[in-house]
Amino acid sequence: MIYLDNNATTRVAPEVAAAMQPYLAELFGNPSSAHALGRKMKEAVEKSRDQVANLIGAANSSEIVFTSCGSESDNWSIRGALATQPDKRHIITTQVEHEAVKNLCELLEQEGYEVTWLGVDAHGELDLDELRGSLRPDTALVTVMLANNETGVLFPMKEIGDIVRERSTALFHVDGVQAVGKIPINLRETNVDLFALSGHKLHAPQGIGALYVRTGVTLPPFIVGGAQEHGRRAGTSPVPNIVGLGAACELARQSDNHDEIRFLRDRLESQILSTIPNAGVNGMREGTKRLPNTSNISFEYVDGQNILAHLDKVGICVSTGSACHSSTKQSSPTLRAMNVPYTAAQGSIRFSLGRYNTLEEIDYTLGVLPGIIADLAAMSPYDKELQALFASR
Amino acid sequence: MSVEDHFFQPRNVGDANEPSFFGRAASMQCGAAVRVSIQIDEQHRISDAKFKAAGCGVLVSSLSMLTDRVKGLSPADAAVIAQAPLDLVENLENLSCAKLACDALVAAIQKYSDAVRHEWNGDEALICTCFCVSERVIETEIAEKKLTTVSEVIRACNAGGGCGSCHPLIQDIIDSR
Repeated sequence: MIYLDNNATTRVAPEVAAAMQPYLAELFGNPSSAHALGRKMKEAVEKSRDQVANLIGAANSSEIVFTSCGSESDNWSIRGALATQPDKRHIITTQVEHEAVKNLCELLEQEGYEVTWLGVDAHGELDLDELRGSLRPDTALVTVMLANNETGVLFPMKEIGDIVRERSTALFHVDGVQAVGKIPINLRETNVDLFALSGHKLHAPQGIGALYVRTGVTLPPFIVGGAQEHGRRAGTSPVPNIVGLGAACELARQSDNHDEIRFLRDRLESQILSTIPNAGVNGMREGTKRLPNTSNISFEYVDGQNILAHLDKVGICVSTGSACHSSTKQSSPTLRAMNVPYTAAQGSIRFSLGRYNTLEEIDYTLGVLPGIIADLAAMSPYDKELQALFASR
Repeated sequence: MSVEDHFFQPRNVGDANEPSFFGRAASMQCGAAVRVSIQIDEQHRISDAKFKAAGCGVLVSSLSMLTDRVKGLSPADAAVIAQAPLDLVENLENLSCAKLACDALVAAIQKYSDAVRHEWNGDEALICTCFCVSERVIETEIAEKKLTTVSEVIRACNAGGGCGSCHPLIQDIIDSR
């Protein structure tokens, strides 16, 4: 199997599994217990907290709260931020957020909040003047992702934080789920108030996430009950998962493989563009403005779900932005916000590389893909358009 | 061949040779686009059926199976098959994909029917080409049985029960009484 779908989830790193193992065996206690076993657990949890804080550049480990996942962190931070500012009913977000933020903001609109949905240009970039113009005295919250899950495009988190701080009293939340572990992050150098991350995107297991809450920001608990997480998030600490997240953060901090991954992604992308006439990249290609591992490519006039099925048959895993494939039967909102024509959006494939991909895997993929696209192009009713594209090469 | 085979090695991809009739269908909801073409021989049977599509796997396999099934049939019989998209899929969820395939085939058959009707130089005007029913027969049925809808006409004398291209004409006859 060749796994090129790391933005969906990642394999648990062997180092992470090894770190978790004792906590699935003899170290099984509850960190809230007063006895020796409990104290051992508590130590492990606090060590993980430090590891997470170090990876994202938090000034203090006490700014890290463990949650069950990125969606929980997003939901808690957004609702919590609104709860502490009841007379402010305006929210600013973007049209390309992950569903955890997008669907929540749509729900909030129904609940009577006013939401400004910032658009993006054809390259997937925000217009910061539009942001400046949208900030109001009654803006409670600005929530903008750091890395887009589909295209990998990076938003200028530091600049956005500066703008929000200069021109408003709004809180600034960042969905950092796709970025953590892939690019360096130093939150203490920014004006970010709330930052969500998720373990399974960086080789920890599913079921663990965290929320960064800047010192001084009040956030009422979402999940209420016991006093775990220093009274901020109830629920018995899932020690094995917490240990796993900590180990994954440590692994990410120590590894220096971003350049390798970027090299493989660039090779895959540039070879596809030069050998397949109807291929085009969706999103910024410039180095600093995109994750090093992601390539969202449209194969115009053929169907993405078909491409995915043919790749799947030879053991290659990717994902697609085509409509039929999604549960909502709508093509990718991110590509639509970028005004990608539907004949291209329907044929979009996301390749997202990871720590374990090799040059052989990339070259194998490059070997099979042109044939797949050629067969689908021969079957396409857009033959005139395709002929023009294939002829001009 | 299994449904899966019809997806990974679809049959009948391409365009039929002359004399051929083309039908198109597309979905606003899922963005799929199809064209089907049928070739009719001197015995008025479908001698070849081909398709081109950009759409999901169910659409592709439905078209592959459908074009296979209608070869050798009269356009009328093919139209009747196209009225049962459920036979092409294992799963109700995918019915809209199969229906799109059937819609494109029916559109091609309607093109053929319209051409035949246009070129007909028999004694009586031909309305339903699928079942070869003349204008006089339809008028008689409507008068004698006091029919008021196209569905009733279909039940009475089969006219309109194939590709459906004559429905507006039948409706005109009903309206003019």
